[in-house]
Amino acid sequence: MRLTTPILLAALACLPTQWTKDLNVGLEGGMLFGAFGGVVFGLTFGSGFAAVTLTIAAGVLSGLIFGWLITRLNVNVFIAGIVLNIFAGAATVYLLRSLFGVKGTLSAPGIPSLPTYRIPFIDGIPVLGPILSGHTVLTYLSWAIVAVAIFAVKNTVLVRHLKAAGEHPAALAAAGGNVQRMRILAQVWCFALCAIAGAQLSIGQLTLFTEGMTNGLGFVALAAVIFCRGRVLLLTLMSVVFGLASAVAIQVNDSVMPPQIAQMLPYLIAFVGLIVLARTTKDGGVRIATPNMES
Amino acid sequence: MSLTTPLKNPPQSTGRGKRSTAPTGLSLARRLGPGVFTLAVGLLLAVLLIQAQGFQPLPTILAGLDYAVGDAKSIARTLAWGLPLFVATMGVALAYRSGMFNIGAEGQIYAGAMAAALTGAYIGPMFTGLHLFLCLAVSALTGAAVAAGLGWLRAVWNVDEVLSTLLSNYIIMLFCAYLATAPLRDPARQSGTTKAVHETAMFAELVPQTQLTSALFVVIILCAATWWLSERSVTGYRWRMTGESPAFAAAVGINVRRSRIGSMATSGALCGIAGALLVTASQGRFWTEIGTGIGWDAVLLAMIARARPLSAVVWVLVYSVMRSAARGIEQVSTVPSELSLILISGIIIAATARAGLFSRLAGLNKLLIRSEGK
Repeated sequence: MRLTTPILLAALACLPTQWTKDLNVGLEGGMLFGAFGGVVFGLTFGSGFAAVTLTIAAGVLSGLIFGWLITRLNVNVFIAGIVLNIFAGAATVYLLRSLFGVKGTLSAPGIPSLPTYRIPFIDGIPVLGPILSGHTVLTYLSWAIVAVAIFAVKNTVLVRHLKAAGEHPAALAAAGGNVQRMRILAQVWCFALCAIAGAQLSIGQLTLFTEGMTNGLGFVALAAVIFCRGRVLLLTLMSVVFGLASAVAIQVNDSVMPPQIAQMLPYLIAFVGLIVLARTTKDGGVRIATPNMES
Repeated sequence: MSLTTPLKNPPQSTGRGKRSTAPTGLSLARRLGPGVFTLAVGLLLAVLLIQAQGFQPLPTILAGLDYAVGDAKSIARTLAWGLPLFVATMGVALAYRSGMFNIGAEGQIYAGAMAAALTGAYIGPMFTGLHLFLCLAVSALTGAAVAAGLGWLRAVWNVDEVLSTLLSNYIIMLFCAYLATAPLRDPARQSGTTKAVHETAMFAELVPQTQLTSALFVVIILCAATWWLSERSVTGYRWRMTGESPAFAAAVGINVRRSRIGSMATSGALCGIAGALLVTASQGRFWTEIGTGIGWDAVLLAMIARARPLSAVVWVLVYSVMRSAARGIEQVSTVPSELSLILISGIIIAATARAGLFSRLAGLNKLLIRSEGK
C-alpha cells in the first residue's frame, strides 16, 4: 500500500498530459526533484507541511516553464522529457554536493517526516486496518485525487477541453477554448503531482534523500499510463498492481528468490503487460510522440 | 489569441520562412549556425554555475580544459574515457535514423559488458587477437540479440519500442547484478564483480598510464563503418526511408519489418561492443556499476546530433572534453563534476528551442517595426 502511493501519484500526474497528447516521459525526473525539494525545504523550514507546500509550488513553477518550452518554443515533448530525467539525476547530485557537501545519501535528524494518521474505527479491523489506516496525508490525498478525477472525467468541461486539445485542437479553438493554455495546464498538473509523489518518497517514507532514489518508479508509472489509455479506474488498478509487485520485491526472503530477481518484478510485469496490450487491442501499440529526426 | 495558435506543431518550414524575413542581425545569427548558439549557451551556463559556487569562472574553466586537453597524456586520458561512448552513440544514432528509439542502450551496454567479461574470464587464455575478437563478437551478438528481440516486438507485434527498451534497461541491469553477485561472483572479492579476464583478452596500452589502448583503432573502424552503413550503403538508405516514412518505404518495396529489426540489431551490437570495451579496455572485469550512465549519455548525444553519424562523432568529442574538464574543475574547486551533464542537458534544450525562440524573436521584432512605422 505504501509503495503504491508514489506510483499512483506519478501516474495520475501523467494522465492529463496523455489527454493533451503531450505525454510527459520526464516523470522520473519530476519525482526526483520532488523528493529532493521535500528534503531541502523540510530541512530549512523544519516542518513537513511547509516542505510539501513549497515542493508543490516549485512543481507548479517548473510545470509552467516546461509547458512554455513545449508549446511556445516548440521543443519536442519527448526530447524534453528524456532530458529532464537525465538533468534531474545530475542536478540533484550537483545541488546535494554544493549545498550540503555530501555524496550519495543525505539524511539528517532535522528532516521532518510526514505524520501518519490513523482512522479511528477502521484501525481496529484486522485485515482492513493496516491496509487503510496509518498512512501519510499524501496517500489519502492520492485516493482523493482518484475520486476527483473519476468525477471530473464524467462531469467537467475542463477535462473535455484537455482531451480536445489533444484530439482535435482546431475544434477546441473554434469552440473558444485555448489550446496552449490547456497543454500548459496539463504540464503544470503533471509537475505538481510528480512533486508530491517525490515528497512522499523522500519525507513520507524514508526521511532521507539518495542519489537516483526514484530508481525507475517513474517509468513504471509511465507504463501504467500507457496501458490505461486515458481511463482513470484502469490506471488506478494498474498502479496498485505495480505497487504490490514492488512490495513483494521488498518483502520476499533471500532464500526464496535472489533480491535482484525480485526487484525485477514490477518491470517484468510492465513489460509483459505492454506486449499483451499490443497483442489484444487494436490501438494497443500507442506511439509515444517521438520526434522526427529529419526535422 | 493569435490565429496561429491552434496549430499544435506548426511545421518547421514556417518558422524558417519567418526567420528569413527577419532583420539582418538575425539572419546573420542563423548563418553563423546553431553551433555557435549552442556553445554560447553552454559557456554561459558554465560561467553562471561556477560563479554561483563562488569561483572565478574563466580561470576555473581554463584549468579544467588544461586538465582535459592540456598535454598529450591528458588528451589520451580524455579519449580513453570517450571510446565506449563513441561506439554506443553511433549505435543509438543508427537506430534513430530508421525511426527506432533505442533508449535501451544502457541495458545493452551492461549485457555486452557481462558477455565480454565471461568470455574473457572463462574461455582461454589464448592468442590475444583471437581472444579479443571473440570477446567483442560475443558481446556484439548479445547486444544484438537483446535489441533485435525488442525490434521484433515493435515490427511484428507493434509493441512501442520506447517503453519496451526503457523497461529492458532495468530488467537487464538487475539480471547482470544478480549474475555478478550470486552465481558468477569472484569469491576473492567482496563486492559484486565477476572474475578478472585473462591478460589475452585485454587491449594493449598505447600511451602508458592513460588507459588509452589499441581499442582506439577498433573504435575508429567501427565509427567509419557505421557512417558508411548509415549514409552511403543501400541498407542504410532503406533504413532511413523507413524512419522518414514507413508508409512510403513499404510502397516502394522496402521491407519495413526487416529494416526495423535489422537497424535495432546493429544498434544493439554496437552498444554491446561499447560494453565490451569497458571490460577489455579498462576495467578488466564486470562489476555491478560498470557503465553507469554511458547509455543515457549516448541517448542524449545521439539526440543532439540529430542522429547524424558525423555530427555524433563531433558531439561525443565535445562531450568527452567537457566531461574531462568538469573532472578537472572538480579537482581545483568544489564544483561537482555533474556540471558537464547539466551543461549538456541545457544545451540540448537550448538547441531544440532555438527555432521556436528565434521565430518568436522575429515576430516581436516585426511587431516593433510595425508600431514604429505607425
